[in-house]
Amino acid sequence: MRFTAGKLLHGLLLILGVTFLSFLLMVWFGPDQTYSLIGKNASAEEIASVRHQLGYDQPFFARYFEYLRELVTLDLGTSNASGEAVRSLLARTLPVSLALMIPGFVLGNLLGIALGLAAAQHRGRWPDRLITGFSVSGMSLSFLVIIIGMQALLCTPYGLDLFPVRGWRVDSFASYLQYATVPSLSLILVALGYNTRFYRAVFIEEYGRDHIRTARAFGASTTEILWKHVLRNSLVPVITRFMFSIPLVVISGSLLIESYFGIPGIGLATFEAITSGDQPVLKAVVGLTAVAFVLLQAVTDTLYRLVDPRVT
Amino acid sequence: MMAMARTLSRLRQDRSGLAGLSIVALFFLVSIAVWAGWLGQDWSAADGARWEGPGPAHWFGTNVLGQDIFERAVYSVRTAFEIGLVVALLSTVLGAALGAVAGWRGNTWIDGAITWLKGVLDAIPFYLFVAAVAFALRGAPWAMHLAMVATFWTTTARLVRAEVLKIRSLDYVRSARAIGLPGAVILARHVLPNTTHILLVQGTIAFVAAIKTEVVLSFLGLGVQDGVSWGLMLAESTQEVLAGHFGNFIAASGMLFLLLLGLNLLADAMQDALDPKQAAL
Repeated sequence: MRFTAGKLLHGLLLILGVTFLSFLLMVWFGPDQTYSLIGKNASAEEIASVRHQLGYDQPFFARYFEYLRELVTLDLGTSNASGEAVRSLLARTLPVSLALMIPGFVLGNLLGIALGLAAAQHRGRWPDRLITGFSVSGMSLSFLVIIIGMQALLCTPYGLDLFPVRGWRVDSFASYLQYATVPSLSLILVALGYNTRFYRAVFIEEYGRDHIRTARAFGASTTEILWKHVLRNSLVPVITRFMFSIPLVVISGSLLIESYFGIPGIGLATFEAITSGDQPVLKAVVGLTAVAFVLLQAVTDTLYRLVDPRVT
Repeated sequence: MMAMARTLSRLRQDRSGLAGLSIVALFFLVSIAVWAGWLGQDWSAADGARWEGPGPAHWFGTNVLGQDIFERAVYSVRTAFEIGLVVALLSTVLGAALGAVAGWRGNTWIDGAITWLKGVLDAIPFYLFVAAVAFALRGAPWAMHLAMVATFWTTTARLVRAEVLKIRSLDYVRSARAIGLPGAVILARHVLPNTTHILLVQGTIAFVAAIKTEVVLSFLGLGVQDGVSWGLMLAESTQEVLAGHFGNFIAASGMLFLLLLGLNLLADAMQDALDPKQAAL
């Protein structure tokens, strides 16, 4: 019980910190929207009334607490830039981002696990060297270079010219594949080097443990060692990496890939909100990301206890 | 001293590590040459036609303004080192300081506060944070550097904290305390030097991350404001590639890849050579 209360307090403090920092940066020091909302030659009264409407005339903490109140009551308001309700903006953009990011994210991790396992099983021999070399090369490629390269290779007449250059006109599974393939392949490639390296280190550590040697000495088969001992005991670091990448990959990763390919997802919407100072959108995205982060931590803790009885 | 000699000999036997070191050293020399005014000085001179192909006059062709792409890519080595060195140095110093304080005062409110700050920074999606800082300080040429330093220190701090927590209960630290040395002196002279292996490796990794982040930020229009960088060249190339002009893309991505590869190989070699756990094996 004390454990749960501690976690809850920890989560609350984290959310307070994230919202405070993002409020400070994105709203207090963010762009001033007054003049984009009123016409030319506005009178002083008009300017004052718009500033009042945006809350610019309130003191710092009044604005911050208003921000918190709106977040707690899920009163997300409407976008200052487009007038669209933030709820409907989220409902419109989030599914696009998830559809775009999930396949690449999952495949990138699965491939990383497979390659890391293959390298760990052949540690020091040529398959390991090959995979390690490949993973270091992958880590040395910039995300933007991968995207441009993939696009040139798969979407232009200078390459295979198989997919549309950019955009997102998805109404069927076939059109989804058309528009999502190149971004997904880029996502897999950008993460694969880091994933492979991480999982290789995890599996090498597990293979090096004494109980594996003992199991081998007692004649356990390679498959049995792999499934019963190595994979099972690696679950904690694997789950940690997988879970904690989710909010960051979905928001951060989608920012670049969506603005590059012109895909109307949450990353692009957030980036536009930063550059235009669209407070209601930013508030919703950052606040909800922080809440998602804390919730994921709770889910991860529960998963630990399911897979590893030593964790209390 | 013994440990140092062993580290050096291990580093010398690591062929990929030596390759990495050579690549980084070569790029470093180029950046010095650019800085001293011997190389890449004509990066902004528009002395060619628009989008000339590769040739003896312009090795990688020219860009939309007729500027020599190779000259620009060479000048960008300096930009990359400026960003990489500043961010790596500052974020490592900050991470070492906060990590050491958190570890030394382990499980007190100071430790709690630093851990909380790390958690907050880690919970904000990275590009969002960097974009927000870069935008909040728009116009300031160091906005990008500040944003990166503010987020990159957390990993270093986490590792240093764990190491200091371990070291502070060792006998020699207890003895130093027992003879009445002030905490700050013990920390600076007897504890922090034992975290050098973490700092060197993390500094190199921060260098890699800084150069990579510059590319993305420059593409988003939040990176290098004036001058030239591989990120700006790649941003330029995003339109050109669709029209079949590959000069900018090949020059910038090739040099970028080579430098990042060198740094990654170096970081790996240092990790292997400096890790005390490996020494026991």
